[in-house]
Amino acid sequence: MKYHEIHQSKPRIDGVEKVTGKALYAGDLYMDGMLYAGVLRSPHASARVVKIHTEKARALEGVEAVVTFADMKKTKSWAGYMYLTDHIRYVGDCVAMVAAQSKALVDDALEAIEVEYEKLPGVYTIEDALAEGAPLVHPQYQNNIFSDSYYPIRKGDIEKGFEQAEVIIEREYRTQYIEHSYIEPEAALAFPDPNSGIMTVYASAQNPFFTRRYISDVLGVPLNKVRMVQAVLGGSFGGKEEGVGLVAARAAYLSHLTQKPVKMVFSREDSFLESSKRHPFRLRYKVGVMKNGRIVAFEGEQVDNCGAYNNQTQFMNSRASIHSSGPYEIEHIKTDTYGVFTNNIHAGAMRGYSSPSLIFGQEQMMDEIAEALGMDEVEFRRINCLKDGSITTTGVPVEHVLLEEIMDRTVEETDYVRKHAEYKKQTDPYKRKGIGMAICYRGCGLGAESPDASGCMIIANEDGSVSITSGLAENGQGLKTAYAQVAAEALGVHYEDVQFPQIDSFAIADSGMTVASRGTVMGAQSVRKAGEKLKRIMIQNAIELRSLPLEGSGLSYDRITVDDVELKGARFFLKKHPEIWVGFSAVTGTAIWAGKQMAAYEWYAPEALNQDHHTGQGKAFPTFSYACVIAEVEVDRRTGYVDVQKVTASHDVGTAINPALIKGQIYGGIVMGQGYGVMEDVAPRKGNPGCRNFDSYILPTSMDAPEMKVNLFESQDPAGTYGAKSIGEPATEAVGAAIANAVYNATGRRIRQNPCDLESVLLGKKLR
Amino acid sequence: MFKYQYFRAKSIEEVCRTLKEYGEKGRIVAGGTDIMVQIREKDPRWREMECLIDISFLEKELRYIEEEQDHIRIGALATHTDLERSGVIRRHAAFLGEAAASVGSPQIRNRGTLGGSICNASPAADPLTPLVAMDAEAVIQGEKGERKVRLVNFYVGKGKIDLRADEFLKEFFVPKVPEKAVSRFGKLGRRKALAISRLNVSVVLEAEQGKIVFARIAPGCIFATPDRVRAAEDILIGKSPSEELFQAAGEAVSAEMIARTGVRWSTEYKKPAVEGIVAETLLKAAEKVVSCS
Repeated sequence: MKYHEIHQSKPRIDGVEKVTGKALYAGDLYMDGMLYAGVLRSPHASARVVKIHTEKARALEGVEAVVTFADMKKTKSWAGYMYLTDHIRYVGDCVAMVAAQSKALVDDALEAIEVEYEKLPGVYTIEDALAEGAPLVHPQYQNNIFSDSYYPIRKGDIEKGFEQAEVIIEREYRTQYIEHSYIEPEAALAFPDPNSGIMTVYASAQNPFFTRRYISDVLGVPLNKVRMVQAVLGGSFGGKEEGVGLVAARAAYLSHLTQKPVKMVFSREDSFLESSKRHPFRLRYKVGVMKNGRIVAFEGEQVDNCGAYNNQTQFMNSRASIHSSGPYEIEHIKTDTYGVFTNNIHAGAMRGYSSPSLIFGQEQMMDEIAEALGMDEVEFRRINCLKDGSITTTGVPVEHVLLEEIMDRTVEETDYVRKHAEYKKQTDPYKRKGIGMAICYRGCGLGAESPDASGCMIIANEDGSVSITSGLAENGQGLKTAYAQVAAEALGVHYEDVQFPQIDSFAIADSGMTVASRGTVMGAQSVRKAGEKLKRIMIQNAIELRSLPLEGSGLSYDRITVDDVELKGARFFLKKHPEIWVGFSAVTGTAIWAGKQMAAYEWYAPEALNQDHHTGQGKAFPTFSYACVIAEVEVDRRTGYVDVQKVTASHDVGTAINPALIKGQIYGGIVMGQGYGVMEDVAPRKGNPGCRNFDSYILPTSMDAPEMKVNLFESQDPAGTYGAKSIGEPATEAVGAAIANAVYNATGRRIRQNPCDLESVLLGKKLR
Repeated sequence: MFKYQYFRAKSIEEVCRTLKEYGEKGRIVAGGTDIMVQIREKDPRWREMECLIDISFLEKELRYIEEEQDHIRIGALATHTDLERSGVIRRHAAFLGEAAASVGSPQIRNRGTLGGSICNASPAADPLTPLVAMDAEAVIQGEKGERKVRLVNFYVGKGKIDLRADEFLKEFFVPKVPEKAVSRFGKLGRRKALAISRLNVSVVLEAEQGKIVFARIAPGCIFATPDRVRAAEDILIGKSPSEELFQAAGEAVSAEMIARTGVRWSTEYKKPAVEGIVAETLLKAAEKVVSCS
């Protein structure tokens, strides 16, 4: 066997405490004398606060702090939106916050605050925002175009491409706002240390170091005066980045003000109103093809609704532009990607980071083009999809491309071709079956978007146990388990002997954000490096301490070097004489008293990538992962109900570090994609979110989950840690598109505006 | 946050006495699956509430499902799970069990009661339609005694029920489904569980020698107050079951919907969908009717 600790389904390192309910989340933490905190939000989408009356709230016994935008020195957060504000840009902007001795008192105090608003005109849709003379959400952005988020792709000569084309097809697709729907709403507990002045915050932070910036920002103190500890996280999916920064900073501010511990836990309504949503996109395509099926020109405009504040739109649009023409090799490409501001909830990072929206459009477009050409859509994809040596959208060749193989095997396994043809001839007036496919690729890690560097510390303890900590964080995806496996593999100890505590900003350096499905593929490279380094250090220790029993072997320590000794399975042994060995703990137990180094810290930075900003051309990612998803549905033609019955998902995962965790990610990704494809929609109307809790925001239950078949493909791509590739986001990104194609196969009705909900499928349009 | 007294009633007399004491400002809680959510949401209906009177400990008095000659008596505290699992219901009002089983989640069905569901007065309540289909009556307990009211008359406007200040709903008096008839419940939600009905319907069919002799159709979600649609039932009588016939019955239901509530923004969808769900549910019932006879 090539590997000893990775490439196998080890149980989760944090599994037992989670399934037994012992894990303490930020909302579960209590301290003596702790205050509770809450915020007051605007009910209007665009308004100015004329007056705010807080006297009644302040007069309530047990209310210890009432803070409005007027009382706060710095209302604008580290990221550009507001802790508190008097300029309301969306339903959910906060005008005041309160700390009090009980949750009930917080509620009473918030109710006692009277606010007079002057309503202002607003813009809500992409069309509203771009209309001439539209009110500006931010005066510095003309026409509400968020110019910093503009990313062009210019490849070849688009005019020439369309001249060459024999058939030209134009389409428009749209996607919706959706909620992350993590089980745990945002929470933070902040408490001051009266001696050092250090503010400690436990928070449900996806990126603890990112959250730390907000706390330092709001308190106006250096980062070393903030101790940020990541509490066990109850799901995030991209949603607990900026949002938790706001929560943690507000709690810290109130804690500083009162000099007491302050806990702020969002209600589900708060979470719906303040947490970012997946960006809705308007996707317009014009594609030129030859009658033989070759795509020669691809023109696209991808406009996303950023809502009221920028929440990573510029980074996301970089990725959106790189992936704007799908996993296809096309000679002439011209795409433009940009965001617009509106008076809606801000859109931000959400699992997929634009891809689920883009693929919804792209992969329906591919089916539509194939149909227009009278060509089989599998063959059409086969002609155009990326292969070894193909040139990508950004003009660089790719290698180790499994896409065609993955697609062909998935098509074969699902009997796609026969079913797809047969389903077109169904005559049952009520129930119609459908099958649909989507293929996709995804740049692994951050790529050219920002530096993908990270650090890890590994400590061998005197008893042979091993502790690791990294700058990247467990978000429920299984990062700790994967890192412990990688550390054990690289160092040569057992996975079971490795521990990985919660991240504490006083214990390790910032490694950027745990995002972009980069944790295992890129982040774990620093774990591997630290493990490999510590391995050499420990072997050197074993030699210097003469720990290996050479007596009677005729060998001598004078002639043994580090390269002669192996450390594997927690045993040091001579490579040429494996029978001569000593246990790991025997060496650590001696080394501790001999003053030997038993820890290593390593930093990993991948090769620098460089894209031209004006054309988007250049190497954008170290590698890509590939996938094919096939969905099978049954549609009730009387009601429009789409029953997703089976989803087959095949993914190129490079090297499967932990196959069980990968499958878990994919199962979850499928159901999340199902929700996106058939029922989820925050549906804001004039900026007012239609849904604020799970009574009206409908997402799939376990009863809705389809039969799922997952196929893992491995490849020999050296870019990632031990060859691993991303899976967190690929797991969900193509599911919605495959469902939409299946619905078309079943009904002959193309749903170009996601989701395929009851009304769209029955009537062919949204009801309102 | 709403502030109110909590009172746990130890007898039916205590319930009536306390209700009278608080008048409009007293409110019954049983399973709490609706009202506790509404209180948390600061539903204006309960802003002035002064006392929440908990009857959930009166199990001996109010939690039962009993069979009589032509009727079933169901205590107000019978839970959805009780209905789902009851042999009496399965034999004599199968669609009530089906409807109860379709409500919410196991947790909600374990706590939520039939009395609570009816008094919450949501037009989408699933167990409401089988009760209406069978012309069930509600037994109302007041300080001075009982009265019976037909369920269709118990609703006096959208979300409003006919209860005086000292009264509460104690029991349901449900005529059995005729022995040779088949009852079915149909539901459309946005997902397979934990879904509030977008549309629902209860139907009963009985046939003799291939002709329908007894029909009941009670749709939910589409009227301000619940009712059978007699025009749709009449279409069926004396005819042989067929898809066309059931489609016609569905159209009679949608026509009644439009007649009663007018054309709204949602009508474009609801009209074909209600026709579809009525026809489909009738078809399911007919399959069994045919196989029985």
